[in-house]
Amino acid sequence: MRRSRLATGGAAITRYALSLGLFVLIWFLAALYVGKPNTLPRPDVVFHEALEMIASGELLTNAASTLRRLLAGFLLACAAGVPLGLLMGLSRSLEAYVTPLIEMLRPISGIAWIPLALYFFGIGEALPHFIIFYGAIFPVVVNTAGAVKQVDRRLVDAARTLGASHVMVVREILLPGSLPMIFVGARIGLGVGWMAVIASELVGAPSGLGYLIEWNRTMLMSSRVLVGVFSIGFIGYLMDWMLRRAAYATTPWWTGWKQHG
Amino acid sequence: MGDRETPAWQARYLRPLALPLLLLAVWQITVMAQPSASGIAPTPFGVIRGFWELTLSGELPKSLLQSLFRIFSGFAAAFTLAVAAALLVSLSRAAEYLLDPVLETFRPIAPIAWIPLAILWFGTGTYAAMFIVGYAVFFPVFVNTLTGLRGVDPRLVNAALTLGASRTMIVREVILPAALPTIVLGARLGMGVGWAAIVAAEMTVGSKSGGGASGGLGQMMFIFLSYSLELRYIIVGMITVGIVALLIDAGFRRLERLLMPWPH
Repeated sequence: MRRSRLATGGAAITRYALSLGLFVLIWFLAALYVGKPNTLPRPDVVFHEALEMIASGELLTNAASTLRRLLAGFLLACAAGVPLGLLMGLSRSLEAYVTPLIEMLRPISGIAWIPLALYFFGIGEALPHFIIFYGAIFPVVVNTAGAVKQVDRRLVDAARTLGASHVMVVREILLPGSLPMIFVGARIGLGVGWMAVIASELVGAPSGLGYLIEWNRTMLMSSRVLVGVFSIGFIGYLMDWMLRRAAYATTPWWTGWKQHG
Repeated sequence: MGDRETPAWQARYLRPLALPLLLLAVWQITVMAQPSASGIAPTPFGVIRGFWELTLSGELPKSLLQSLFRIFSGFAAAFTLAVAAALLVSLSRAAEYLLDPVLETFRPIAPIAWIPLAILWFGTGTYAAMFIVGYAVFFPVFVNTLTGLRGVDPRLVNAALTLGASRTMIVREVILPAALPTIVLGARLGMGVGWAAIVAAEMTVGSKSGGGASGGLGQMMFIFLSYSLELRYIIVGMITVGIVALLIDAGFRRLERLLMPWPH
């Protein structure tokens, strides 16, 4: 049993290496054929550039400022969105008042706010923070409100019968019961926020990964742009993986992880 | 919890409209209370007038059509490619081993991150925007189609085989219809991301190329920011972005019901 799993793991790695190796080979040949490093740089050049950008600290400083913005905007969105969603899940009249406003604003993507926000905030930290917050809060609120409503009412009734107070019902039943779906909302929010921070840095921020790729584009340094693009993908994947792990670790009993994980 | 009976009119009109109307009123009054700002500060009525003016001048319809053309052509290309790739991966083990790792490597890269390279490769026009939309659409469609194809009940395939169906017939008559709900779902998700991405692409291009011929809604908004500071025209653009997003979503839901009248 154990050996066979090891063997399949090894086979998976071999397949992965083979597939990506073939891709890099095609890329290499295509780059030779195109022959314009400003348009399509060779993979080995990109790799060297990546090492250089790591050694000079350029990649890490920019990644750090992007992550700092994302984290601030995202945590703010969670801090505002989770309580609002909980209240909406608890009170049907509050939900009736707030939902139309949310449904009105939600289709306007955070990215569409960039020009107006650029006028109000100028180039700097406030712009990406606002755009991330705006993009992330809707999935968080909507999923939290939905999560509270799908908690089994019989559990609430049982607790009430046993004399639990309002606060206790919220803390002991509704909150843990809705935690998995809150995590799902947070994951979607983080993904949207990641798009939003890159977009806002492309247009209006003096640092960050989005700024890095756009700046190197104007310098015609395609290899450096590609390093930035791959870093964006890698970091995005890593964050999603960490949040998934955290969600699974806090609510291992939830049966829906197969579907949403 | 513990809702008291509310009159029908209140539940129907007052509740949903109260907050949006209040917000609009506060917005209008705040701007009117500051005469010094009235030159550039937009008001709700100003925005409504802006809609009318931009429609008459032809700027709004032209940019909107340009963006719509890009998103639908980019979508059509990416959708075809994604469904074909998913079919290939689900039918052939070799294709799965070769394609899957590469696609999984590129999937987490946000489409917006490709904008600078798309500009380098395709210039600042329609093709760059189409590439971004295509990238955004491809992965949700691919992943959902693959999930759908793999979820097809093997008994259906076996039954068709027993009855003498050929391989193409099984794909066309059994597998694709069974996977249709998830394929359409993937298309809907992809269009949602694609629409946000195309606005970002047009905006980035618009902010850099200094208002060339690249056009589109995103660039229209940016030109109003950098050249004429007509904030109410920017808001017209934002509302248009929202309405189009809603319409696209509603259209796909409609399509879902039309293609699959059975409950799923």
